[in-house]
Amino acid sequence: MAELRYCLAWKRPDGSFQPGETFASFAEAATALSAWQPQSHSGALSTQEPCCTDQVEIWCSCQDEPATVLSRPRYSFVVYGTVAGGGGDGSEAAPWWGLQEAITGLVELERSGQLALRHGQRLRLCHREVFATSAGQKRKARAENIAKTVFMAMALMLVAPVLAILVYLLVKGWPALSLSFFLENPRERMTAGGIWAPLVGTFFLVFISLLLAAPVGILAGVYLNEYARDNWLTRIINLAVVNLAGVPSIVHALFGVGVIMFFAELRRNYGIWVPFEDRCLLAASCTLAVMTLPVIITSTREALASVPMSFREACWNMGATRWQTIRTIVLPNSISGILTGVILQVSRAAGETAPILLTGAVFSVPVPDHGWRAFVPYGLHDRCMALSMHLYTISTQVVNVPEHVEYGTAVVLIGLVLAVNSASIALRVYLRSRKKW
Amino acid sequence: MDTTKEKHAGPVVRKPVVAGSVGAPHSAVPQTQQPSTEPSPEAQQPPRKSSLTDPIVSCRRLCLYYGTAQALFDIDLDFPRGEVTALIGPSGCGKSTLLRCLNRMNDLIDGVRTTGNLLLDGEDILQPNIDVITLRRRVGMVFQKATPFPKSIYENVAYGLRIAGIRKRSVLDAAVERSLRRAALWDEVKDRLHESALGLSGGQHQRLCIARAIAIDPEIILMDEPCSALDPRSTTRIEDLIAELRGQYTIIIVTHNMQQAARVSDWAAFLYEGKLIEFGPTTKIFTAPDNKQTEDYITGRFG
Repeated sequence: MAELRYCLAWKRPDGSFQPGETFASFAEAATALSAWQPQSHSGALSTQEPCCTDQVEIWCSCQDEPATVLSRPRYSFVVYGTVAGGGGDGSEAAPWWGLQEAITGLVELERSGQLALRHGQRLRLCHREVFATSAGQKRKARAENIAKTVFMAMALMLVAPVLAILVYLLVKGWPALSLSFFLENPRERMTAGGIWAPLVGTFFLVFISLLLAAPVGILAGVYLNEYARDNWLTRIINLAVVNLAGVPSIVHALFGVGVIMFFAELRRNYGIWVPFEDRCLLAASCTLAVMTLPVIITSTREALASVPMSFREACWNMGATRWQTIRTIVLPNSISGILTGVILQVSRAAGETAPILLTGAVFSVPVPDHGWRAFVPYGLHDRCMALSMHLYTISTQVVNVPEHVEYGTAVVLIGLVLAVNSASIALRVYLRSRKKW
Repeated sequence: MDTTKEKHAGPVVRKPVVAGSVGAPHSAVPQTQQPSTEPSPEAQQPPRKSSLTDPIVSCRRLCLYYGTAQALFDIDLDFPRGEVTALIGPSGCGKSTLLRCLNRMNDLIDGVRTTGNLLLDGEDILQPNIDVITLRRRVGMVFQKATPFPKSIYENVAYGLRIAGIRKRSVLDAAVERSLRRAALWDEVKDRLHESALGLSGGQHQRLCIARAIAIDPEIILMDEPCSALDPRSTTRIEDLIAELRGQYTIIIVTHNMQQAARVSDWAAFLYEGKLIEFGPTTKIFTAPDNKQTEDYITGRFG
C-alpha cells in the first residue's frame, strides 16, 4: 500500500474545487484548515447547497497515482461560522461551533479511528451561517409540504362528487325547472305536471317528525350532559342512543309497520285509543322521528359539552340550581350547536325513503289543485306523497316519464337538502359571532 | 402598633364571642400565641384577633377520598371569623381540595367521599341533608381563572341576585353599584355597565368575579389562586381588595405565592401531602415556624 497524501481543495466561485497544498498526514491537513476564510453569502454556491455558504475539502490519494476528481464526499461535516455556542459533533443536526473546534474535532475523529480516508475518497467541510436553513430542515419542510398537499387533495376529493352530481343533475333537469314545476301537481300518470304534492308531503313529514323528535332529543341530551352521573343507567341510555343511531333505515320502517299493526290490533280488539292504526302521515313522521332522535341527542350533548365547565361552577357557587344554570348560562351559550344539530336532521329526514316507504308515503294521492286545500292536502291520518318516494317511483315504477322530469325532481330534492344545510351553517356562524369567551 | 386597638371588639364580628365555644385543642394548632405579642404589619381597620375563640368554620378529622386515593388526612383546622386565612403548600397537597370542601364543590366530582365533620357556625355542612344551594350562597368562591359570563357587566354582578328571585330594579341597581364599588371596579366600568363583560381586561375580569361573589353577600369568600394568572399591578389591586374586604367577610385564600400569603393573610395553614403540617398566625408561620417542613417550604428549600 502506497503512502497516502491529503490535499486541501478550496472552493472556487464557479463551484468547482481548486486543489491546494498537499500534506503527508490527515492531522496536518486538518490543522492547515485554520487558514480557511469562509466566504459568507456566496451567491454561486447557494444554488447547489443553499444551507452552505462555503466549503472546503480534503482529498485523499495514493502518492503514486494521480489525484482524480471524485464523485461524492465520503464524509461530510458542518461548521458554524460564529463561535456562539459549544459542543456539536459536526453533523448536519449539530454542527461544530467555529473553525477551531472543527479542526480539533476532525483530528480527534481521525485519531480515534472513526474517520479513515482511503484512496480516492474525500472529506467535505461545509461552512454554515448560524441561522441558515440546514438541509435537514429543508427535508422537513419538503415532507411537510407533501403531507399538506396529500391531505388537502383528499379533502378536495370530497368536493368533486358533490360538484359532479350537482352539475350533472342541473344540466339534465334544467328543462323541467320552472315555477310551475314546483306549483303544479303531477298529471297524466306522473309524466307531466310538477311536484307540488310530494313537495308539500315532504315538508309535512319533516316538520311533524322534528316536532316530535326535537323536544325529546334536546331534553334527553340536556339530561345526559347536565344531570346524569356516570352510572349503569346512563351507560344503558348511551348504549341505546349509539345503537339506535346505527339501525338501518329499512329496519326502522319495518319497526314502524310493526307498531302500526300492533296499534291496529289494540284498536280492533280492545277499543283502546291509538294515535294511528294504518299507514299514514303521522305514522311515517313517527318513524322518521325515531330515526333522527339519536343524532339529535348526540349533537345536543356535544353542544352542551362545549360550554366550559367553569361557567357552571361559577353559577353553582352563587347558589344557582342546576336548572337555573342550564337556563341562564348553558343553553344560551350552546343554542347554536343544538339548532345546527336539529336542522341537519331536517335534511336527513327529507332525504330518507325507506322509513316512509312502508309507513305512510304512497305512490300517488289525488290532491286538489286550487284553494286552501292545495296547501294542506294531507291530514295526519291521510297517506301522503313525498319527494324522495316520488323520485323513486317515477324513475323505477312508471314508464314514459320524460327524463328531465326525473332529473328536475332530483335537483329539487338535493337543492332542498343543500339549502337546509346552508341555512344551518349560516345560523351557526351568526350565533357563534355573538358569543365569545 | 395595634395593641391599643386590640382591646376593641372587632366591628364586624357577626356573632358574640361565646366563651368555651372553641373546638377542642388539637395538636396542629399551636397554642402558644398571645394576643398582644403578635404585630400586625399592614392592618389598619379591624384589629387582629389572635385567638381562635370564634372560628367560623371548623374542620374536625376531615378526610377526603377521590375513589380509593385519599387526598386529605384528618384535617383539624379552625378558620377565624372575619379574617384572612391563607392555605399554602406545594401543588397537589390538597389546598384546593380542602377549599372546595367548604362549599361542597367536590360533590360535583364523581367518586368523592368525605369523612369527619366540617362545622360552619356549628352546623355540619358535610351532612347529606344540607341544602348546598343555601350553603353556596353563604360560601362564595373566586376561581383561579376568571369566568365572567358572556353577559353585560351589570348582568354578571346581578346574576346571583336574579337567580335568588330578586327582580326589583332599584334593589338590583343598588346591589350592583355597592358590589362594584367594594370590588374597586365601579369607577372603571360605571359608564359601560351594559356592555359585555368580556371586553374587560384580565385583572378587571377577576375583580368582576369578586364583585359577583360579594353581590349575594356571602359570609365566607373562598379564593383559589385568584392572582396566579394576573400581572403584578392587577395582583396588587386584588390584594388591596382582600385587605379591604377582610373584616366584612371571612376570606380563605389558596396561593402559591409566599409573599402574597405573607402580605394578605392573618393566618396561614401549611399543608403537605394531604396533611395539615402547621397552622398559626401568618407572622409566626413566616418568621418562626415550629415545623421544619414549614420552614423549608417557606424559605424555598423544599425538597
